Amino acid sequence: MPALETFLQAIVNGLVLGSFYALIALGYTMIFGVIKLLNFAHGDVYMVGAFVGFGALSLVSGVVGAGWTGLAIAVLISMIAVGFLGVVIQRVAYQPMLSAPRLSILITALAVSLVLQNGALSLTEGSYKAFRTDLGFGGFEFGRLFISHQAIVLVATAAVLMIALEFFVSRTMYGRAMRAVSIDKDMCRLLGINVNRVVAITFLIGSGLAAAAGTMAGAYYGSIWYFMGFLIGLKAFTAAVIGGIGSITGAMLGGLILGLLESFGTQIPFIGSEWKDVFTFAILILVLVFKPTGLLGKSEVERM
Amino acid sequence: MTIRMTTLATAAALGIGLAGTAQADDHEILIGIQVPTTGSEATYGQDMFNAAELAAEEINAEGGVLGRELRLINGDSACDPQQSVNAASNLVSRDVLGIVGGYCSGATMPTLKTYGDEGLPFVITASNSTQLIPANPGNAFMINSTGADQSKKAADFFEAQGVERLVIIDQGDSYSQDLADLTAERWESMGNEVVRRETVNKGEQDFSAVVSNVRSSDADAVFWTAYYADGGLLIRQLRQGGYRGTIAVGDGSNSPQLFEIAGGAAEGVFAFSNPTADFLPAAADFIEDYQAEYGQDPGPYAPLNYDGMKLLAWAMEKAGTTDSAAVVDALATADGESWLTGPIRFTDENTLARSNFIILEGEDGAWSYYDNQ
Amino acid sequence: MTTSTDRPSNLIDRLYAYFDSPRRQMLLLVGIVLVLAIMPLFMGRYTTTIMTNALLYVVLALGLNIVVGYAGLLDLGYAAFFAVGAYSIGILTVQFDWNFWLAIPPALIAACMAGVIIGGPTLRLRSDYLAIVTLGFGEIVRFGARNLEITGRASGLSNIPEPNLFGYVINSYVDFYYVFLLLAVLAVIASHRLYHSRLGRAWLYVRHDEDAAEAMGINRVRVKLAAYVTGSVFGAIGGIFFSVNLGAISPESFSFEQSVLILMAVILGGMGKIHGVILGAFIIILGPELLRELGELRLLLFAVIMLLIMLMRPSGIWPERRH
Repeated sequence: MPALETFLQAIVNGLVLGSFYALIALGYTMIFGVIKLLNFAHGDVYMVGAFVGFGALSLVSGVVGAGWTGLAIAVLISMIAVGFLGVVIQRVAYQPMLSAPRLSILITALAVSLVLQNGALSLTEGSYKAFRTDLGFGGFEFGRLFISHQAIVLVATAAVLMIALEFFVSRTMYGRAMRAVSIDKDMCRLLGINVNRVVAITFLIGSGLAAAAGTMAGAYYGSIWYFMGFLIGLKAFTAAVIGGIGSITGAMLGGLILGLLESFGTQIPFIGSEWKDVFTFAILILVLVFKPTGLLGKSEVERM
Repeated sequence: MTIRMTTLATAAALGIGLAGTAQADDHEILIGIQVPTTGSEATYGQDMFNAAELAAEEINAEGGVLGRELRLINGDSACDPQQSVNAASNLVSRDVLGIVGGYCSGATMPTLKTYGDEGLPFVITASNSTQLIPANPGNAFMINSTGADQSKKAADFFEAQGVERLVIIDQGDSYSQDLADLTAERWESMGNEVVRRETVNKGEQDFSAVVSNVRSSDADAVFWTAYYADGGLLIRQLRQGGYRGTIAVGDGSNSPQLFEIAGGAAEGVFAFSNPTADFLPAAADFIEDYQAEYGQDPGPYAPLNYDGMKLLAWAMEKAGTTDSAAVVDALATADGESWLTGPIRFTDENTLARSNFIILEGEDGAWSYYDNQ
Repeated sequence: MTTSTDRPSNLIDRLYAYFDSPRRQMLLLVGIVLVLAIMPLFMGRYTTTIMTNALLYVVLALGLNIVVGYAGLLDLGYAAFFAVGAYSIGILTVQFDWNFWLAIPPALIAACMAGVIIGGPTLRLRSDYLAIVTLGFGEIVRFGARNLEITGRASGLSNIPEPNLFGYVINSYVDFYYVFLLLAVLAVIASHRLYHSRLGRAWLYVRHDEDAAEAMGINRVRVKLAAYVTGSVFGAIGGIFFSVNLGAISPESFSFEQSVLILMAVILGGMGKIHGVILGAFIIILGPELLRELGELRLLLFAVIMLLIMLMRPSGIWPERRH
């Protein structure tokens, strides 16, 4: 059997999967950075993003069709709308809880997650929605290796978004403020930085990235449902932990590493694909136990 | 205090709720319909309920059963074992005289005991896992062919297609795993080889690993034994990933919605199916009546539930009484009684004595009849 | 934990004030148990089954309450311990033909071991990491049950034999109602005693201020581990009797949703408070049955209430007054 083709195919699969993980992991890590909150609802924000993108595509497809243009517009609309949803969630649910015990804010985040999930369940009656596009099934084929056009565009888009984010964080005023807030919030306040606005922008960007991932996942895989954010949210969190939570480059790296690990993990002959998720959770637990700071994170003492 | 008041209030409310509805007068026969009308399988469940209702209305229009009118009670199983036991005990408490339904095998399983304790006749219309057979206390009758029948149909089909390298994929739930195991066993007993078994997790979106495993195993046929929602995604990704061999799906995926999710990728896909209304000669009137009443087409399990209702009514008439033991005995004597899905006759294990599976093929975004070997 | 003021501001607070004395509380408890004990005489099969279910959730919620309410550790995979209890019984009685009663000690040992295995290495972690680890652990247990031969894979295990108690076979729904009533009463007593024990006070200190607790000579990891293991034993006991009651178990009964429901029961009534948790368990089970037409809105409604409670009244529907 041509091992090289299988190997390359696993890399391609891993890159696609890793792009989704990375985009979602960025939200976890950024939000964690500025308010030290594990945002349980983030996977569900991704799910809402998919549904908003779905709605947006049905609206614009009459005008521009459901091809690449239509999808691009749908992704943009979803990013903006869900970005603001993220800000609303932060303002309504998390802001009042910032001084509460950590247990309370964790449960609040879980409650937000359940509200989004079950809200979508009620609206869709639990059914799958077919996310139809006119993107076609084309691709490049080299023997057993197959790379679809969609996969290429997807990975490229994710890369562009991540480069833009890196630029924003390192070069712009708010990006620098975001980093400063994640280091010392009180000092930032003393220096006259509008911490609340920085936190809001962080939620806007983090949720927007998750929405982009959600819409693209809907189009790429072809269907969406209310529970789609649960597993991938957990995995993206794993990615963020692998990369070192709080580190933006780490989240991107962690996403790609996890995507590739999963993709290669399922090639191991005696571990069937049914153990794939167990494999991921085992990695999560091992990393947390043995290297909780991940690859690029900094160690930190918990403040209760 | 509050606890006691709450408890009493709820108990009272439950009691009143029951008392208010449990009293069936002598002119009525209460029948429980145990189907999932909420949860992920709600579409199928509602559809099955409608079909039973249609059957009951027809029976009532012709004078009812033993001169009494049939009244149906919805026992929502939600496709969940715990909830279905609650629903089943609710039905028993409301003095139903028989039960029709059973969709998710896992949820049907524990209710066998609930009904068995009371000896109530239970016509199982959709659930068809072979795991149900040993757990049946004797009062339940399965009118859908079992996984064993379907696996035979599937293995014969693959042989006829000249398949050499078969991959079987299930979803890790009891129904699809059962069908996958039985098919693998059968296929191997015919001297063939299953080149790969895969299990995907429910709700998973990315099947790329499965797709590359299928491709690297040089499969010429893939058999998906689970449901349409994930099946649609899998088929799409198989085709998207460059797989061009045969794809066949089990009866959990024979829904029209498979085409919505898989799009063009579902063209040429084969499905093993219990007899759906579209392909039953006797069902033309049924489809028309169903559409008139509910404004939509009957789904895949509607004819079976319709037949289940008719069968139970027939057994009560035959027994001449609604006494549970007599009705159960009457059911066991069914000898080719036939409504929509073909003649009903039971084996010693209370399963349907013949296979009713047909083969469908995806064509222009819908199922068409392929062959009934 | 928030402490409400001493001025009874509303009816519930006043009621609570009335039942503040241990004697009245004991009377209340006895009264409730008596009412519950004679209820099957008046209830049909359905009501009895639902009440049995509610009593099971009382046991489970009280167990989780030790972890979340007493020790302040968020556990999102509590159904895993429930599963360990249920599957231990299922495997030993179905696969190895053990007697039910003989299978109970190994089931409890398995639950303790599961508690130590998952708690041991992770309890040093930040609390939010711990939450996600427990979630992952819960999923691993469910996937394991679903993929292993010995657990009957996806179909689970069926025909779990009914327990025989000195010649009396526990099998009717009324029998099981009394079994769970007994378990619930024992769970309440155990929770109460734990709360007022040395360990209970250690949990309180650790929950309020880990560092100060450590400085006072409390080994916080050991104390947390004790909470974890105690909680897992409660969960396993629930699972043990759940499995013989249904006679069949399958992996889907131990999903994340199950863990969330139990957690909701703990939070709705008020974390850390026995009466509140009992109330929460009854709301979780009886609510949807009373409002059948809620259907799928059920979980949404609970989730919204849970969010509102966290935002407005973090101490739950039934607040606690500590002096």
